[in-house]
Amino acid sequence: MSANRIMVIDDEKIVGDMAKLSLEQEGYAVETFLSAEPALERLKEEKFDVVVTDLKMKGIDGMEVLRIVKKLYPETKVIMITAFANLDAAIEALRGDVHDFFPKPVKIKELKASIQRALN
Amino acid sequence: MKIENKIILSNAFNIGLILLIGFFAMQNLNLMLTKLRFVEIADDLNASFLEMRLSEKNYFLYNDESALLDLKEKIDSTMKSVDVVGKDISRAIGQENLDEMKSHLDQYSRMVDVVKTSGRGDMQIEAKFRTKGKNLREFSNTITRLERKGVNDIIAKSKNILLFSFLAIVATAVIVSHFISQRILRSLRQIQRLAKSISQGNFNKIEGVAPADEFGSVITAINSMSEELRNREEELIQSKKLASLGILTAGVAHELTNPLNNISMIAQNYQEFYDVLSEGNRLELMKKIEGETERIEEIVRNLLDFSRPKEAKLEERGINETVRKALELMQNTLDISNIEVKLSLAADLPHVRIDDHQVQQVLVNLIVNAVHAMAPGGRLSVATGQGEGGDTVKIDVSDNGKGIPAEFIPHIFDPFFSTKGVGGTGLGLSVSYGIIKNHKGTIKVESTVGEGTTFTIEFPVYNKDRDEKVQMKFRDNVDQ
Repeated sequence: MSANRIMVIDDEKIVGDMAKLSLEQEGYAVETFLSAEPALERLKEEKFDVVVTDLKMKGIDGMEVLRIVKKLYPETKVIMITAFANLDAAIEALRGDVHDFFPKPVKIKELKASIQRALN
Repeated sequence: MKIENKIILSNAFNIGLILLIGFFAMQNLNLMLTKLRFVEIADDLNASFLEMRLSEKNYFLYNDESALLDLKEKIDSTMKSVDVVGKDISRAIGQENLDEMKSHLDQYSRMVDVVKTSGRGDMQIEAKFRTKGKNLREFSNTITRLERKGVNDIIAKSKNILLFSFLAIVATAVIVSHFISQRILRSLRQIQRLAKSISQGNFNKIEGVAPADEFGSVITAINSMSEELRNREEELIQSKKLASLGILTAGVAHELTNPLNNISMIAQNYQEFYDVLSEGNRLELMKKIEGETERIEEIVRNLLDFSRPKEAKLEERGINETVRKALELMQNTLDISNIEVKLSLAADLPHVRIDDHQVQQVLVNLIVNAVHAMAPGGRLSVATGQGEGGDTVKIDVSDNGKGIPAEFIPHIFDPFFSTKGVGGTGLGLSVSYGIIKNHKGTIKVESTVGEGTTFTIEFPVYNKDRDEKVQMKFRDNVDQ
């Protein structure tokens, strides 16, 4: 059985790097992107099980990523993280069938647990 | 005095003048009528006197005895009529002349009696008689002539008085209305100037004591309106500050959360994988943490600069030195980015009153922005010169970079507005704006996408006398 594929999109490079370091230890195949556009291009080529995306980004933002992914790849789970946590954004994300919603600073253990749940 | 009262007063003055002239004209007219009445009477008298002399002549030349009786009768009737109109005559020629005329008549009458008793032949009496008659007639003629002349004089005098009075009235009317209209126009001009400056956002006052007329009330009203507007503007600025504090808080939260999250994630992984990480990996992670703390430090520092602008140490100095120092600070950055610098500093610029360090900070900030906006090989030009009108000194910082889209321009001085994404804090320009505003200067931007951006800073020229006065006034206010 091949490893589960995880995509991480965040304009903060360290977030991608750290998530990759941690998640690869769990045996996942992780790809990181600094913005949504190349990430969405990559999704066309390959199926990912989980997309972890930042909410506020230049260009296409996390909410748009959620909508596109849910429309084109309904089986892919989306986990949203944001430095700019507010209730409205959380509600909007939940309506868009987000799997989980984490405010920064992210607890990596919780993120891993959430991904685990998403894959089951 | 109120303008209304002034107008009433000047009208009253003119009416008084007209009444006075009327009074004098009336008096002259009455005098003239009296004189004319006398001339009329005198004509009658002269006719009587002429007849008397004719009777006298008839008596002596033609020995006509009845002539003497006629003469006596004429003298009596003349004396009677002189008594009847005596008042009119006395008014015209004076009691003295009237008495003299009466005495001439009386003497003549007595001579008639003398001649009657002595009869003809006494040459001496005859001569005396004729002299008396002649005197009477001559006196009467003289008085009549004088009175005619008097009438003419009065007419001429009246004409002159009327002419001069007319000129006086016209002159007063013109001068008074000129002064009043000047006063009104001056006040209107003051009010117009103030209204214009208020409409331009300068809530000034009309200095000096307001005149005690209707315009005084208007000026007082406008002054208090202007003060009210100024207070409102200050309130508005304060509320804008509060609003930007809101933006600030949200911005700070967002800005700080990202580096905090980075540090947190690094720290979590560091603990989790401590054993598997090589020493090199560990050092690398710690360096990353250090980098993130520097990011936080910069945000906090900029934030402090923004929220609590340090008391500027304003000194009188030339602007060129400050520009040169700022460029020296940036020289390495400019060299690395391969930016060509074109510096043109105007000579003999008037001094300004600035905090050297703060203005350098602003310039460094603008130059950093310019470098970020340009590709390597771009051109930065920095120029100093006098502003339009000559009461400001300006610095232009121009680049030929990508430019700022028009929709961003209204926001570039807002705190946390940034087009640089992760790289910028969005505080630089708003801090710069605060610094320039503290210097009573202005900072403006002009930009065309694809062609470049020019920031223009202007400082008011330092005017020692004026600024010291303002400071003294300020100190006085503090002392009170």
